[in-house]
Amino acid sequence: MPVSATSASPLAVHVRAVTKTFGTGEAAVPALKGVDFNARQGELLMIVGPSGCGKTTLLSVIAGTLNFDGGEIDVFGSPLHQMKPRAITEFRKRNVGFIFQQFNLIPTLSCIENVSVPLLINGASRREAEQKAETLLKQLGLPGRGRERPTNLSGGQQQRVAIARALVHEPRLVICDEPTSALDKDTGGHIMELLRDVARHPDRSVIVVTHDNRIFKYADRLTEMEDGRVQRVHGQGGNHDLSE
Amino acid sequence: MLLGDRAKYVMLVGGLTFATMLMTQQSAVFFGILKWTTSHLSNMRAKLWIVDRNVQQANELKALRDTDVNRVRSVTGVAWAMPIYVTIQSAKLADGNFKPIMLVGLDNTTLVGRPPVMLQGRLEDVRLPNSIILDDLGVQRLSVGRAKPLGLGDTFELNDKEARIVGICRADRHFFGYPYAYSTYTQALQFAPKQRKMLSLVLAEPAPGWTPERAAKQIEIETGMKAYTEDELFWSTIWWYFRNTGIPVAFISIIVLGFIVGTTISGQTFYAFVHENLRHLGALKAMGASNALLARMLLVQSLTVGFIGYGIGVLLVTAFGHAVLGRGEPPFMLPWQLPAATFAIVMGICCFSALLGIRKVWKVEPAVVFRG
Ligand SMILES: Nc1ncnc2c1ncn2[C@@H]1O[C@H](COP(=O)(O)OP(=O)(O)OP(=O)(O)O)[C@@H](O)[C@H]1O
Ligand SMILES: [Mg+2]
Repeated sequence: MPVSATSASPLAVHVRAVTKTFGTGEAAVPALKGVDFNARQGELLMIVGPSGCGKTTLLSVIAGTLNFDGGEIDVFGSPLHQMKPRAITEFRKRNVGFIFQQFNLIPTLSCIENVSVPLLINGASRREAEQKAETLLKQLGLPGRGRERPTNLSGGQQQRVAIARALVHEPRLVICDEPTSALDKDTGGHIMELLRDVARHPDRSVIVVTHDNRIFKYADRLTEMEDGRVQRVHGQGGNHDLSE
Repeated sequence: MLLGDRAKYVMLVGGLTFATMLMTQQSAVFFGILKWTTSHLSNMRAKLWIVDRNVQQANELKALRDTDVNRVRSVTGVAWAMPIYVTIQSAKLADGNFKPIMLVGLDNTTLVGRPPVMLQGRLEDVRLPNSIILDDLGVQRLSVGRAKPLGLGDTFELNDKEARIVGICRADRHFFGYPYAYSTYTQALQFAPKQRKMLSLVLAEPAPGWTPERAAKQIEIETGMKAYTEDELFWSTIWWYFRNTGIPVAFISIIVLGFIVGTTISGQTFYAFVHENLRHLGALKAMGASNALLARMLLVQSLTVGFIGYGIGVLLVTAFGHAVLGRGEPPFMLPWQLPAATFAIVMGICCFSALLGIRKVWKVEPAVVFRG
């Protein structure tokens, strides 16, 4: 049953004083300068801000695809700052679904095969995985296209396939970097509606990084970043500052 | 994943097929040439071959004394032993030219060492005066300058003496291309100019209950001559040519060439494949695929194309072998070790190619998937 996140919802992602610097010495680029940030269960949270402010970097460290220098990150009870690389890989495998700007579907596999990938990585049988993938594609409005190569589909359809791939193994955290910037306004809107429905699920959280102000309205809350820090959090009927 | 990239897939399979063919085909031809060096064995056929102590291969026989046959016969473990005289003599053609032939003199009564397959005429007629059995290559060679090819009853001059063809046989070709001709031992002595020692080798059979190996050992102990089993002489001859000719160098360069061609094409294609798919491989990593899983995936794909390429290559080579085997030219010999070795090499190439890709995949950071 769909639920909407409230300020009382339990925390899904908890980030405290996280720092990340790329490179060393002269060439060092501090991308995150002590980020504090929360995402709740059942909400769609957006991260916005000027180019280069560290949005993708923040998303990467939360997803466990990039290690960070200092601070603490807790995702659905997993303390990433204390975990070994192997355990983090395992964590990603079970708990994180990814949606990329360029869809990143494998062009030589059919849509069903693409969607099956996370299940196969998680050790499911091919039959089982493809059955689940097919069902999910149907639910996402792509019945009968499963055997086709993703390159035969439109951008919006490809992004639907990518969403199916991100959801098929029922991850608790869904991570999207610029999911609509390769799509036109209407298609992007449809995709965002879909993602908002995905987020209406207890025990799940969807985090979307975007530049695209046309889709801000789909956010439950909006986190504004600037120069490696979180500046402001909007949402839930008004502006909230960091002390919230 | 790779199977979906038609162009690369065809390229890989094609490269491996080509490498397989190059290595297997060429090696089979080399083996075939080497096999020619053992034509005596297939054209005379015996379990035991007794020769001079210093003889290491079938084509370099040193004359024995006539009495040596009897010495072999008296060895325990020998059922029977028969003399053979092998000599190269000149046959005169109708146009006045000469062609060398390999003349084999057989024991008069038993005809041990007789040709493997008679095509025309009767073997027994070889006992008639001045008779000779010629192989089909000989018929072809000696018919030059004649209105119609030589046949049964025709005569030609062999070392200034008249030889009458009473039979035509099939024989394996000699390394130096000599045709084979058979006569009785005494007739062969007539054809050949007189020499002091006229016995080339002794063919023998082990007594019941004796293995060829044991009988051979016993002959060596009792006579001081060298006794080979058929198998020993075969390999001893082949190895002699391997050691003493340029064949191994050519042989090894072909293997190396095949290896380089295979590795270059497949390694390069596979690497390009991984390179072009780094984004996707990175995405798989982000989704939680471990290095080991991706390595296994690449290896399976590489070995699969290796398997297919190898299969097609060996099939083509075998078909080629069947096409030329009947004609015997070029020579062709495909013992099972050859495709097995090629298989090992092709799989090695595939593992190596996969490894190139795997090394690259290992270095991919899962975070690259978020970079534009
Ligand atoms: N791998 C890297 N090596 C070095 N510097 C990097 C790396 N990745 C990011 N940076 C730097 O870190 C800073 C933050 O980058 P990030 O990609 O997180 O920004 P962003 O907010 O996602 O920008 P955009 O809106 O353009 O995608 C930038 O200055 C960028 O140049
Ligand atoms: Mg970015």
